[in-house]
Amino acid sequence: MCRHALILLPLIVAALELLSPLFNHGGSLVCLTLIFVVFVIAPKRCGFRDWQRVLPSALISAAGALATFLLANYLNLGPLVASAVVGLAGTSFFKERHQLVLYLGAFVGMSSDARFPSLTLLIAAGLVGGVLWEVLNETWNGVGGRLGTVAATAVLVVLLTLGGGL
Amino acid sequence: MSLFLGISLGLLWGFLGHTLRQKTKLSLVAVSAWLTLLAAIVLPRVFKGGYLYALIGTAVSYVTMSSSHRLEKLWETLTVSCICALLVFFGQNVLVGIGGRLGTFAAVSVFIFTIPKAHKGLINPGRE
Repeated sequence: MCRHALILLPLIVAALELLSPLFNHGGSLVCLTLIFVVFVIAPKRCGFRDWQRVLPSALISAAGALATFLLANYLNLGPLVASAVVGLAGTSFFKERHQLVLYLGAFVGMSSDARFPSLTLLIAAGLVGGVLWEVLNETWNGVGGRLGTVAATAVLVVLLTLGGGL
Repeated sequence: MSLFLGISLGLLWGFLGHTLRQKTKLSLVAVSAWLTLLAAIVLPRVFKGGYLYALIGTAVSYVTMSSSHRLEKLWETLTVSCICALLVFFGQNVLVGIGGRLGTFAAVSVFIFTIPKAHKGLINPGRE
């Protein structure tokens, strides 16, 4: 149950955006509180132990994010084509499980360069995406769009904590 | 007109995704990536304001990554595709620039359909 709290972050932010006239600074505070609760309390309460798989997933996700972002913004392919190219490249080199992680990273890399003026933050978001993928592994199984939601969560976590807000 | 066209293209992409999942051995990622590539290359060139339709096609391609346990039949995929097209169309100003936005729309669409489906016995117990 506690894992659902984090994966719902994009929806909470979206709701706060829609209600932004009512919550000026309260929105960020709500999100930061949620992130704190989930990262500090959830891993212990959920009993997550399979940490050995986290590092490869984090690195693959970060690679996907970086590749997509560079293709989209430096080669001007645009985020849609760039994510598709990275996803298709992943199907040639990885097994299904890692294809999904790379595709998750590609979703992170679809962020606009206005949100990520530095590549460091983007790589951090990719790494967080890989970690979240492992932590939230059994959450929303079989739901199309789950990868994107995890990616959006990772992006929002990084922007809200390291990136100076939205 | 643009909403009608967006829903129509969403349904088409949903049909393509469902068919590719059922009839080919392509992986989840490959099906979604091919549909995304097709939407991103073709739709902006064919239609005025086609980038929005490309976004709809891409989001629907994520819907088709759902497991057969969640969306078993074609009509279920098409219904969720229609919901997803509506969400993308009316949610253009939400989470702008955040990677994963379209996936979030896709996931919400799937839940809008699957949660009532899973609890239909609670809503209308006489028909169970």
